[in-house]
Amino acid sequence: MALLDVSNLNVEFPTRHGTLHALRDVSFTLDKGERLGIVGESGAGKSLAAFAIINLLSKPGRISGGTITFEGQDLTAMDTDALRSIRGNRISMIFQDPMMTLNPVLTIGTQMVETLQAHRRISHAEAKRIAIAKLREVTIPSPEERFDSYPHELSGGMRQRVVIAIALLTDPSIIIADEPTTALDVTIQAEIMALMLDLCETHDVGLILITHDLGVVSEVTQRVNVMYAGRVIETGSTRDIIDAPKHPYTRGLIAALPQQNEAAQRLNQIPGSMPSLDGIPPGCAFNPRCPHVGERCRREIPALRALGEQQVACHSAEEVAALAGNGGSAS
Amino acid sequence: MTGPRETLVGITDVVKHFAGGGNVLKREKRKVHAVNGVTLAIRQGESFCLVGESGCGKSTLARTVIGLNAPTAGTITYRGQRIDDLTPKAMAPYRRRMQMVFQNPYASLNPRMTVQTILEEPIRFHFPRLSRAEVKAKVEEVMLSVGNDPHWGSRYPHEFSGGQRQRISIARALMVDPEFVVADEPISALDVSIQAQVLNVMMDARDQRDLTYLFITHDLSVVEHFGSRVGVMYLGTVCELAETKALFANPRHPYTQILLAAIPRLDASGFRHTRLAGEVPTAMDLPSGCVFHPRCPHANARCKAEIPALKDQPDGTAIACHGIEEGRI
Ligand SMILES: Nc1ncnc2c1ncn2[C@@H]1O[C@H](COP(=O)(O)OP(=O)(O)O)[C@@H](O)[C@H]1O
Ligand SMILES: Nc1ncnc2c1ncn2[C@@H]1O[C@H](COP(=O)(O)OP(=O)(O)O)[C@@H](O)[C@H]1O
Ligand SMILES: [Mg+2]
Ligand SMILES: [Mg+2]
Repeated sequence: MALLDVSNLNVEFPTRHGTLHALRDVSFTLDKGERLGIVGESGAGKSLAAFAIINLLSKPGRISGGTITFEGQDLTAMDTDALRSIRGNRISMIFQDPMMTLNPVLTIGTQMVETLQAHRRISHAEAKRIAIAKLREVTIPSPEERFDSYPHELSGGMRQRVVIAIALLTDPSIIIADEPTTALDVTIQAEIMALMLDLCETHDVGLILITHDLGVVSEVTQRVNVMYAGRVIETGSTRDIIDAPKHPYTRGLIAALPQQNEAAQRLNQIPGSMPSLDGIPPGCAFNPRCPHVGERCRREIPALRALGEQQVACHSAEEVAALAGNGGSAS
Repeated sequence: MTGPRETLVGITDVVKHFAGGGNVLKREKRKVHAVNGVTLAIRQGESFCLVGESGCGKSTLARTVIGLNAPTAGTITYRGQRIDDLTPKAMAPYRRRMQMVFQNPYASLNPRMTVQTILEEPIRFHFPRLSRAEVKAKVEEVMLSVGNDPHWGSRYPHEFSGGQRQRISIARALMVDPEFVVADEPISALDVSIQAQVLNVMMDARDQRDLTYLFITHDLSVVEHFGSRVGVMYLGTVCELAETKALFANPRHPYTQILLAAIPRLDASGFRHTRLAGEVPTAMDLPSGCVFHPRCPHANARCKAEIPALKDQPDGTAIACHGIEEGRI
């Protein structure tokens, strides 16, 4: 049995102009110690997919269907108290902005001790010992001194390290990281991602890494969900999907990267842009941008189905799969 | 006329400091050393990329080049004519020839103006003699050339997506037939599939109009694709200057090497970086000597004491590094 099993998750936002379906039939699993990427453009539903797991949906968003099974329990059926014993304890979150986690008026040490004591009956001295050990583990220089620092006394990269240390305090089995390095410079990103990889491996922690960067997904994750307009449109091993994408969107996205194009030549581009939730066309949401669009695509929503080693939601996936490996040109 | 390899924009020993950093309460006024002695020549027809991490002075240098900031010291020339000390009136013709595209397409277009007004404004200012019909025709031509629907004119910026807005910004820059376009992180705020669209528009404009670009980005894979030459900046100084191909094939400066190794790669071969020591210093407390020395794995006593000059190398690149000069790197 998977550690986490998200099955047919639906999330909606009631609005004055009707209900917006932000997530549709999102299903995925995470095994112990596994690293899963969730990739897609802004607005695709990546953050919602993660927040829904730990019931952090912003109002008036709500789960309108599906189950989320973690260590055998359905989180969607749990009351707030029970969920609190899981969130920030068994499942930790890391956000793009470290100040979502850090309290600006408390020292780092105070916050770490409070987090530990909220979930465990331990003395202050013991909590402090654990906190300093974690700061050392995320390679914060002079952790004993930093324990007494305020967040504003640290650089952006150091703050995100502290957040990682806090995420690890309670020995969680899953860390959900939502664009944890997007606001950081590339050298700091590389350091922090290398650190997270390392820590997840040594502690056998599962990672759900949300990012828009296919390079980061490739470097860090073992499996990936590609999302588009609220749905998972392709899922499988990261290597398979990057080397041989079977959904025209995934294929187009990879082909559009400068790394995949001959220098100074026009890039392969996907025309148009992802629709907003109130403008999703009938049939496949990608059909207006798709080079393989057929009549059926405008009518019938493609279900996620197995094709080889991966799963793909596309009526023309066989056709796209046959193109794989012939130069990566999407259009 | 200027030949294809001649200098279009000359940047010589440019320094830009800002007053007023530091803690206001403590009344300590520390200077921000944003740009500290940059010398570069941007050649006619090239796409010169400036790359470096946030706060290293890229935007400040760009704004200084096109006259939005006065340099604290140093000079800017355009086709050999000094332009950093011109009166606004004398500067006017250069303001047409040099256009800028900004990172944030949400902030850079006036939300109260229609797209038509946004596009007509610069052309009416710089070409007051054009007739109404000529202006309209020009708007239509430029909108088409950047892949926009020419009938968007009556709409407002908020009605468009980020990518569409950025193409409107590019159209606005192209309206007055510039020779030199400074683009400051023009695609950084956009989604990947939209980045490709906007980059293509910029490359098309370059080919059709023989534009010279100063393209600023922190994304090295974009530099590799778009740039003919690259300047790598660190804390207000250029540490390496090279042809794009040469830089990516053989990065020489220790900072360039670390920067390239940190790019996440689709084949998962990235993150081969050397761990950098210490915290990233800021432009308010510049390190002595080589500004990179606190993070450099090869730094020695000389690096801590003496600022390295950007020196031409036999292979045509230029590097500011004592270690390379001494042959120990
Ligand atoms: N509070 C809300 N009310 C209405 N729509 C929302 C709300 N929060 C998110 N959404 C919508 O849900 C979609 C998915 O958002 P999100 O998961 O944040 O995307 P991503 O993380 O992939 O950028 C977006 O279209 C967004 O506009
Ligand atoms: N108007 C200003 N006043 C004070 N400091 C500034 C101003 N503009 C930029 N700076 C500072 O100058 C340094 C370089 O900034 P900038 O040129 O924006 O860097 P980049 O574009 O490479 O991110 C930074 O430390 C920044 O905070
Ligand atoms: Mg998000
Ligand atoms: Mg900038």
